[in-house]
Amino acid sequence: MGKKLKWCPAGDVDFGSVPFFDEGVPAGFPSPAEDHLDLDLDLNSYLIQHPSATFCVRVEGDSMTGAGIQSGDVILIDRSLSPQKGNVVLAVLDGEFTVKRVDVVDDRLYLIPENPSLKRIEVGEESSFRVWGVVTFVIHKV
Amino acid sequence: MIAIVDCNNFFASCERVFQPQLKDSPVVVLSNNDGCVIARSNESKALGIKMGAPAFKCAEIFESHGVHVFSSNFALYGDMSRRVMETIKPEADDMEIYSIDEAFLTFEGPDSEARARALCFKVEKWTGIPVSIGLAPTKTLAKVAVRIAKKNPSSRGVTSLRSPADITFALQRCSVEDLWGIGYRSAEKLKSFGISTALQLSQADSSWVRRHLSITGVRLQKELQGIICSPVNGLTPRKQNIRTARSFGTEVGTYAALKEAVSTFAVNCANKLRKEGSSSSTITTFIHTNPFKPHATQYSNALTIKLEVPSNDNIEIVSAAIKALKKIYRPGLAYKKAGVLVGSIVPASQVQLGLFDDVDRTKRTNLMKSLDSINSRLGRDKVRLAVQGFDRKWRLRQERLSPCYTTRFSDILTVSIPR
Repeated sequence: MGKKLKWCPAGDVDFGSVPFFDEGVPAGFPSPAEDHLDLDLDLNSYLIQHPSATFCVRVEGDSMTGAGIQSGDVILIDRSLSPQKGNVVLAVLDGEFTVKRVDVVDDRLYLIPENPSLKRIEVGEESSFRVWGVVTFVIHKV
Repeated sequence: MIAIVDCNNFFASCERVFQPQLKDSPVVVLSNNDGCVIARSNESKALGIKMGAPAFKCAEIFESHGVHVFSSNFALYGDMSRRVMETIKPEADDMEIYSIDEAFLTFEGPDSEARARALCFKVEKWTGIPVSIGLAPTKTLAKVAVRIAKKNPSSRGVTSLRSPADITFALQRCSVEDLWGIGYRSAEKLKSFGISTALQLSQADSSWVRRHLSITGVRLQKELQGIICSPVNGLTPRKQNIRTARSFGTEVGTYAALKEAVSTFAVNCANKLRKEGSSSSTITTFIHTNPFKPHATQYSNALTIKLEVPSNDNIEIVSAAIKALKKIYRPGLAYKKAGVLVGSIVPASQVQLGLFDDVDRTKRTNLMKSLDSINSRLGRDKVRLAVQGFDRKWRLRQERLSPCYTTRFSDILTVSIPR
């Protein structure tokens, strides 16, 4: 055959640049998927609707486990959304950050933890309170 | 109408977004190396802390008033600036990003003030950064308007100068030194001729203005009269020169350490040139000792090297910068600052090759391309010229640096929710 095998260390092969499908399959039926090659799934576009208003925050503590937010998780906050009753929000209560579900009952504002051992917090008129942003997703490592 | 959107106390506001407990507290941000004050919250301004004040001179006032002091975190400010600009963009008919915290916009139609108010609200809601907006027929007048918006709480962030009467009223109350583009010297000159308000300047004889303030003065005067001389330009103009300079965390004495610093600054300039597709033919290196230590021997010098063929090649720019350094370096001194400035910038595509040029330009361009692609994946200066070194004895002092909340996963805000 005259051709020599060329050895190269495995580290030199850049698998990242090997396309998954390619033309030029030497024999056999051409791949019917070729014309349907799509871009990679983009997690950013799935998770983030308003990039300039979205922030990542890490949560420590167990008060929101019932909403699927475990200690150590990263949550995504979209500041562009207006908080609605029932939303989980990142809020600033008397100068401190917290994550809670907001509820309004009889014109009173409550912050509801999602943990049966904890009580709801009433936001009185004397306290300073504002919503920093609405929580849209939780990133949890399984 | 032309609008300028100006972020209020931008760097201090960026820090506050992530530390809301500082909402009504005095905050200042210090320059590179924690040298002097470069941003102040309104509370700090009220304490009489001046822009540019050396930090060591303010130590007492910081202490006694519980001022929250931050080192400058440009990774954070840069990202927050990008967010602010992206939030503004869809709301404007045209947009020119003027600086890290300012943008000029055009608002067509009669409802420009309502649009400006809505934008003011949107930017603060989306990014947490409060902004003020000045609206007027020209950029110069918009700058006058935004000053008023910032000073008067009753304007609720937006001031519009539309009618001739409004404009006259505002210009009467604006001194010439507060005008956009009027420096200290021009202001002194104008005042010596009895022109102290913007209104007086706008009504001065135009041939007199041309004689004393040249064509720039005439343009400024026209803009004050409501005639656009500087339109909102969405295209970023090519920079005239690019400068990278740093004060050192601790003073540097040896040639080796200075060489390392100067090469790194030169590479930084070359990177910026390539990023915008430009080349430069004059490379200036400057060094100086610490002027705040009057008892130490003072020395400062700069030298410019001219390249035969304009370049944006790391190796060529660094060689020139070091050649200059070698000539101006004096041993036995404690240097506080060094920098590299590249000028005579031309588009890289229009470079005229030299007759006796012996550099293989195609090969070098490819080398730089590879370098850029590696460093963009692995991090800045991962692949570097040996002369850039790894000692970084000259690195910044940043003792009060806040986390890079928005650009590093290891630094994101952590919220504790035990209850």
